[in-house]
Amino acid sequence: MSESSAKVVFWVGTLLSLALFLALTFDTHGKFDALTHADRLDDKVVEGKRVFEARNCNDCHTILGFGGYYAPDLTRAFTRMGEDTIRHRLERPEEALAASYRKMPQQRLSPKEIDRLVDFLRWVSAIENNDWPPQDSEVRWKSSTRRLLAGAALSPGAALVSEEACLACHALGDRGERKGPRLEWIGTRRDAGWIAEYLANPGALLPGAAMPPYDKLSEGQRKAIGEFIVSLADGRGRETP
Amino acid sequence: MRYQSQKVAYAYFVVALLLFTLQLVLGLWLAFNYWFTVPQAVVDVFPFSTARAMHTNLLVLWMLLGFMGATFYAVPEETQSELAWPRMAYVQLVLLVATGVAALVGFLFGWTQGRPLLEIPTPLDFLVVVGALMFLANVGVTILRARRFTAVQGSLLGGLVFLALLYLFGMPFYRNLAVDWYYWWWVIHLWVEGAWELVTAALVAFMLIQLTGVERKVIEKWLYVELGLFLFTGIAGTGHHYYWLAAPRYWLWVGGIFSALEPFPVLLMLIDTWRVMKERKKPLEPRLTWVFLYGMAVLHFVGAGVFGFAHTLPQVNYYTHGSQVTVSHGHLAFYGAYALVNLSFFYFAMPRLRNLPDGKYDEKGGHLAFWMASLGVVGLSLAFAVAGVLQAYLERMQGQPYIVAQQPIRFWMAIAFVFGIVVLGGVVHIVKHLLTLKPPPPAPA
Repeated sequence: MSESSAKVVFWVGTLLSLALFLALTFDTHGKFDALTHADRLDDKVVEGKRVFEARNCNDCHTILGFGGYYAPDLTRAFTRMGEDTIRHRLERPEEALAASYRKMPQQRLSPKEIDRLVDFLRWVSAIENNDWPPQDSEVRWKSSTRRLLAGAALSPGAALVSEEACLACHALGDRGERKGPRLEWIGTRRDAGWIAEYLANPGALLPGAAMPPYDKLSEGQRKAIGEFIVSLADGRGRETP
Repeated sequence: MRYQSQKVAYAYFVVALLLFTLQLVLGLWLAFNYWFTVPQAVVDVFPFSTARAMHTNLLVLWMLLGFMGATFYAVPEETQSELAWPRMAYVQLVLLVATGVAALVGFLFGWTQGRPLLEIPTPLDFLVVVGALMFLANVGVTILRARRFTAVQGSLLGGLVFLALLYLFGMPFYRNLAVDWYYWWWVIHLWVEGAWELVTAALVAFMLIQLTGVERKVIEKWLYVELGLFLFTGIAGTGHHYYWLAAPRYWLWVGGIFSALEPFPVLLMLIDTWRVMKERKKPLEPRLTWVFLYGMAVLHFVGAGVFGFAHTLPQVNYYTHGSQVTVSHGHLAFYGAYALVNLSFFYFAMPRLRNLPDGKYDEKGGHLAFWMASLGVVGLSLAFAVAGVLQAYLERMQGQPYIVAQQPIRFWMAIAFVFGIVVLGGVVHIVKHLLTLKPPPPAPA
């Protein structure tokens, strides 16, 4: 190869790639608003992003998969854990993660800052990013739950979940609210016995939990709910008691 | 050393080496945090996030200071003239180090911009820009005054201007998180897979010309091809970071295809180095400098090329994105490419700056130190890789919650910690060796 053809390789390679990259960047800008639901990106959300940055959350947690790998990804934190769990962890991490082998610093956030962080995480959770991360995929959760509920006769646990209006706070399949954690996610972490005990007195197992006690249910009923929740996440791991 | 003003490089190298050592100490603390439960009282005062900000910013700072020092060394030789303003080079060093120290101390007190790797608060960003402008002015004016242009200089200066320009995209506040990350990668990716590669290729070409006596024309010709391939694959290859951040689906194709080609320029650099080594017109001396230089070519290819390719395709990346797999690739690639190119250059330039005859020095101890540091980094990268594959399988495929899937990973982080101690031992020896270079012992009669 001669020197002049080497120079041609340099300029053609560089300029082609640059032209493609800049053209796609221009196009991508036109699509960000729709993919991120920018209509819901109000000042409260932006304020939340500022708090998120001021406390350097991103050097332990990933978000959209970027950042520190020391703590759970926050892209779908809102759909996974719900508002109350997020608030609890932000307000009193030393209590919420007392049993955990990994700690989160007490950030001394004001109630307003916590509100804004929740706004921020709520907005982030709806971003359309090719359904990443897989472990929090709502699509996967919804379809597995749909299959489960359609396949079997309604289990006593499932009946109780609907009788007791659990979905007024929790998400399950296509339904429910985002105050508490998604039931499928609980099923990945806890066994039936733990859930039954928790239902009787949440504060005893998770100090500061926002959930009201369901001690009016019999032990058998609570166990049935536990078994139902665990069945939502078959084949997934469990936290060791 | 042929030009008096090259001497400024020495101060840059010394500071870079000390910051490198500090970076490793913080790295050990991070690995420790992964397998040991640090009590809440400590976490509240010195969280992982602060230590990580320090670890990564020290990396950027020491490597950039190394590149700048190397540039101050190479440009007088390439232009055959003195630097325009040698004293300004010292002022620039003091400014950048003071900014760096202010940033590190600031992190301890929660003063941060809070975006990974770009945590330096905005007021300090402006000082960095001032330092960069001083640097570019100094180098640019030297080249313009001398009116002697070489491909090595062009690549070096082009890379450094590109690097400085890209830094600007990391400075503003972005309202939209997706847009924020889109431009964050203009700094991070286009640095390490663009601008920094240009600087590295230039420094390697410079050392090869000086060490082998092979004709400049031949080396510079292949430099053009390497640079063309680096930029062709690297620029559009930025797309491999746009898979999961709310960018359109075509990035899966663009990112996948271009980044799959990214190993080729690194491979070409490895082959070039080997070929030039074979065609050398001078003996392979000093041996240790060559060990570093060739070690760099090999580990650059393995760390950046092979480990990078392993998780760059979207089908794989869907499960490995944001896991310890990235950590594994990051460590081996940064060490293989940028730590070793800096250290090679230090071993090339420091004996000459100390006026040791022919740039030869007593190599005793340096070889063991190289192997400790390099095998240590390979070891910890493999430990991270096992941790990452476990995480991808347990968390992403099986769907275990993060903290459950982390439990079996803790063991591998302890292994990484042990390898980290070996790395620190090796690097401390390298630093000591470099700072106390002696003339070689007389050959046995």
